Amino acid sequence: MTRFGPDVLRGIAVEHIDALAAGAALLGSGGGGDVALGSHLLRRALAPAGRRVEVVPAAGLPPGALVVHAGVVGAPDVLAERLLAPGDLARAVEAVVGHLGGDLAAVGVIEIGGLNAVAAVLTAAHLGVPVVDGDLMGRAFPGINQTTAAVAGHPAAPLALVGPAADTVVVPAASPAMAEALIRSCAATMGGAASLAMYPLTAAVLAAHGVRSSLSACHALGTAYLTRDPAAGARALAARLGARLLFEGRVDEIRPPLAGSPGCTTLTSPDGGATARLDHQEEFLAVTLDGVTVAGTPDIIVALAVGSGAPLRADQLRPGHSLVLLGLPALHTWPPGTAALVGPPAFGLDLEAVTTP
Amino acid sequence: MTGRPRVADLLHDPVLHGVRTVAGAAGTERVVEDVRWYEGDLDDVDGHLLLCGEADVTPLYRLDALVRRAEEAGAAALLVIAGPARPLLSSVRLADRLRIPVLWLAEDHPVRLVQELTARVRAPQQDRARTVERLLRQLGTKRTGQEILAAAEAVLTARLSLVTSEGDAVLGDPVPPDPALRPERPVPQRGDHVLVHPVLDPDVHRVAAWLACPYERAAEARLETLAIGLAVTEPFLRSWLSAQRAQTVRDSVFQTQLLSEILTGGDSVSRDVVEGAVSLGWQLQGWHVGVHLVADPPGRAGARDPVVERFRAGLAAHGVEPAGAVHRGNGWALWTSTDTEPAPEDARATLDAVRRVIAALPRDRDLAAGIGRPHRGPGGLAETLAEARDAAELARSHDYRPAVEHSDELGVARLLATWQRSEVTRAFADTSLAPLRDPAHAHLLTTLRAYLESGGSVVLTAQALGVHRNTVTARLQQVRERLGVDLDDPSRRLALQVACRALGV
Repeated sequence: MTRFGPDVLRGIAVEHIDALAAGAALLGSGGGGDVALGSHLLRRALAPAGRRVEVVPAAGLPPGALVVHAGVVGAPDVLAERLLAPGDLARAVEAVVGHLGGDLAAVGVIEIGGLNAVAAVLTAAHLGVPVVDGDLMGRAFPGINQTTAAVAGHPAAPLALVGPAADTVVVPAASPAMAEALIRSCAATMGGAASLAMYPLTAAVLAAHGVRSSLSACHALGTAYLTRDPAAGARALAARLGARLLFEGRVDEIRPPLAGSPGCTTLTSPDGGATARLDHQEEFLAVTLDGVTVAGTPDIIVALAVGSGAPLRADQLRPGHSLVLLGLPALHTWPPGTAALVGPPAFGLDLEAVTTP
Repeated sequence: MTGRPRVADLLHDPVLHGVRTVAGAAGTERVVEDVRWYEGDLDDVDGHLLLCGEADVTPLYRLDALVRRAEEAGAAALLVIAGPARPLLSSVRLADRLRIPVLWLAEDHPVRLVQELTARVRAPQQDRARTVERLLRQLGTKRTGQEILAAAEAVLTARLSLVTSEGDAVLGDPVPPDPALRPERPVPQRGDHVLVHPVLDPDVHRVAAWLACPYERAAEARLETLAIGLAVTEPFLRSWLSAQRAQTVRDSVFQTQLLSEILTGGDSVSRDVVEGAVSLGWQLQGWHVGVHLVADPPGRAGARDPVVERFRAGLAAHGVEPAGAVHRGNGWALWTSTDTEPAPEDARATLDAVRRVIAALPRDRDLAAGIGRPHRGPGGLAETLAEARDAAELARSHDYRPAVEHSDELGVARLLATWQRSEVTRAFADTSLAPLRDPAHAHLLTTLRAYLESGGSVVLTAQALGVHRNTVTARLQQVRERLGVDLDDPSRRLALQVACRALGV
């Protein structure tokens, strides 16, 4: 499901980076890490005139072609401060390819929301291979099993992690639960964050089960956002982004997430009439308006600061902030029965059914 | 059938002690029709007070949806037994907006709470019957007023006081007067913020005190329960008051008996008597000066007579501290005790003090007092009290009030009495006082007599006659003019005083 379908991205050059980063930040749903550092690195990688990373749809690759998904994993705070190393990302991909044998056809995007959208492009640039126009999440999720590939029964392993000192861990096989646990503990050992390559899939599998055209959609969304009329109201911006305007109001109270239970932020509309509750962990998970849940993951929830219009991450909210809450449609329609994996219950949220006005 | 309580009524009910209204305070005037434990469904909860546990609001964001759904279902209020958590601001705002009260209770036993609330809302009569039964059970074993009040407070879970009509506390805290109350009507009454029930005097049919129960606000049913609680408590307090009074009477009878034993025993008093005296603070060894006070009408034996109390307090204020005041015969025996023999001038001071104090007391009791001379030991006490009594009798024979006599002067009085009865004196009196004998000048004669009896003091004369001292001065001037005598001449004064007594003025 791609709203920005017709505007297909064929390649990524310097001029595409701003829109790509802006789109990734919006699709992060308040999480996914800080895009800024990654986009600076990508700008440097693509700086030599004419350099570009080719963008190909999965269906455009030979069915047996190998695609490995690359990105970073770890604590957002560490990722925000430690430069990602394109060489480490490439090394992780090569470790997976080396384990499997064969040739790498393209690099895939794990999650289109946040830093990893840029990280995959950066890896492809480093390795000189195309990047697939798609991803495995259609937004940002904290768990490596919250992917369309996992839903389709494809394991994340063989996978590889590379630390900042080029320490490499290859996991040839792992159950979904162990894959998650191993990656977390390795990343912690490697200083809180690591470069990760996983989900080696054939182009045919990816074409069948991946989220399609996410890079194009991300770029188109970012372009629409960057070319908005700053003077126009929230409603106009929502219409421009194809989003639902969920709420406008001021942050009155923030209860941070505690031991697995999501945090809750209370917003009050300027006239004091309505109250919205924004539930969040590392991402925004749900918006409840006067006791009625109007948006919930995997819907993409965007909090824009009134004034600058900048998207805010969950950790950037402060009491007193005036926000516009938007609901972007998910880039992917998750099949029935996946609510436990990507819906509110996956985050410990026990909400009544989402009501779409 | 009593009207259903409102949410605010229940909030003031002890059963919801410790409950906080965390949101939706604007809706506390909603009427509560029934009480229900929330079990996930909200069918037929219109007008219900919904109770729910911690699990229903954990995580806390679930309260948002519950508040909205409860309001939509028409619930009167939501009571959350929530543990230490505090609600999200979003829930608070939502409840405020929907004006549905959200009540927060840190901890309680849900079953008991639902039961008690249901009884409050659905069956106030049952609640009342239970209260009366518990009250009767509790009060039956209580002895003192404090115990009775405390037990009633515990059962009624309300603050109680026993107060006078002016609101002064006899037991418990004072209760500010309520303009809506009519203290002159001895019936149970309801003020704006207080319920009162008269506690009748055990002896006569009048209000001895009021049993008061202040309240902030309460449902009609709760007020009725409290009113019945007061009615049940009142007889217990009345019987306590009655016992108190009997105790006082017993004390005074004991004192009278002890004193009479001392008086008859002279210097050889038994060990029991000494112990009894010590327990009352009487020093039998030492010097005593007796004072005997008589009044008409005489006070009742056993009852505390306010005149005696004031007389005693007045003497104390003048530095004459009576050791005891015991009802005796037609009056009260009072005496002071000292370790050393009082100096002769002390007698004068005592006389002066008694005169001043008695002059300040109400005149309607026709008070007269006599003072005895200092004597030593238990026998001395008997002696000085006997002298005081004789002196009081003499004082009583005067036709002015208040009258005071000191037994020091009684010897002289006897001498004078002889003179008064002689024909010579009588003849002198008739002639010398003739200008004042006609009825139109009777007041002058009375003034002269009082002036001479008070030792030539205009102030004491004025006090004795109950007139201003300028009046006394003016009358004395008229007396001088009419009699043509110099009242400053001691011989003249003596002659005139004897003449006055001879005439029996």
